Amino acid sequence: MSPLAGGRLQPAAAPVAPEKEVTIYIGGVHVSPGPAVIKTLLGSCISVCLFDPIRRVGGMNHFMLPRGAGSSGADADATRFGVHAMDCLIGDMMKLGADRRRLVAKFFGGAHVLNMKESAAAVPQQNIAFIREFLKGEGFPILAEDVGGYHPRHVRFYSHTARAMVKRVDGPHARARLLSQEDHRSAQVPSFGDVTLFDQ
Amino acid sequence: MPSTILIVDDSRTVRTMVRQALEADHHQVIEATDGVAALAALDMGPADLVITDVNMPEMDGLKLVRALRDRPGYRFTPILVLTTESGDEIKQRGREAGATGWLVKPFNPDQLRKTVEHVSRRRQP
Repeated sequence: MSPLAGGRLQPAAAPVAPEKEVTIYIGGVHVSPGPAVIKTLLGSCISVCLFDPIRRVGGMNHFMLPRGAGSSGADADATRFGVHAMDCLIGDMMKLGADRRRLVAKFFGGAHVLNMKESAAAVPQQNIAFIREFLKGEGFPILAEDVGGYHPRHVRFYSHTARAMVKRVDGPHARARLLSQEDHRSAQVPSFGDVTLFDQ
Repeated sequence: MPSTILIVDDSRTVRTMVRQALEADHHQVIEATDGVAALAALDMGPADLVITDVNMPEMDGLKLVRALRDRPGYRFTPILVLTTESGDEIKQRGREAGATGWLVKPFNPDQLRKTVEHVSRRRQP
């Protein structure tokens, strides 16, 4: 539009800095101190996007519970690693000034990309059940969710507005990439943190 | 020997996981959501050991450790920091604040129990 459109002098629009784009993968966490678009590709994994509307700080993680969730004896350990993924995201946001009492959540993923029938014992359903229970237990309001189904998802999260865009994708390329990532990751034995005792 | 243990963490889920691990050894567990709430809880009754997160609202874990070391009766109380923070620099700050030990999440419940037992035994008045 011309600056003289409408017969009146219009101020020139201020140049808008391009938003930084960051892609995260399984096990990743990103919290941005400035405007950013955080992107990820999800299959059976879950991504949680948290946002503090006062400080306008947002972040995203991408995790899957280790294989074994839902089988006897393995639930507690699997849950522990899901809690850790959330703890890292929340902690990183607090370091940028967010207050956990104001955090709101959106979450995505948990697709059955293997085209197997959905069941409560399957990894995607375990991931979905875990995050619902966690967010409810911690009292984070859920603004939006898009979970389940059979298609991978591309998620774009705008860290300074909490806007999230989800695109369901398919095709052999995306599916093969996801299956390779997720199968490798779920078979890994997660490690616990270390212990340091100080001399007093 | 069973003790009274104060767990300080702003995550209800984490507090529950720590409680379950410690109650298996018959410890009595009390909970607080941040440093300010922890000090208020200790005004109501003493604890033999404190386990605290670092990143919390109101008063963070390292400030809590310093506040406790300034309190009569808590100079030698074991204080374990249980956190996602694993950097050497922040661990050193924890040590200087007076922490007894540093456990990085995700924690192994058996290791937590053994660490609690170990630091409880070596407590010196």
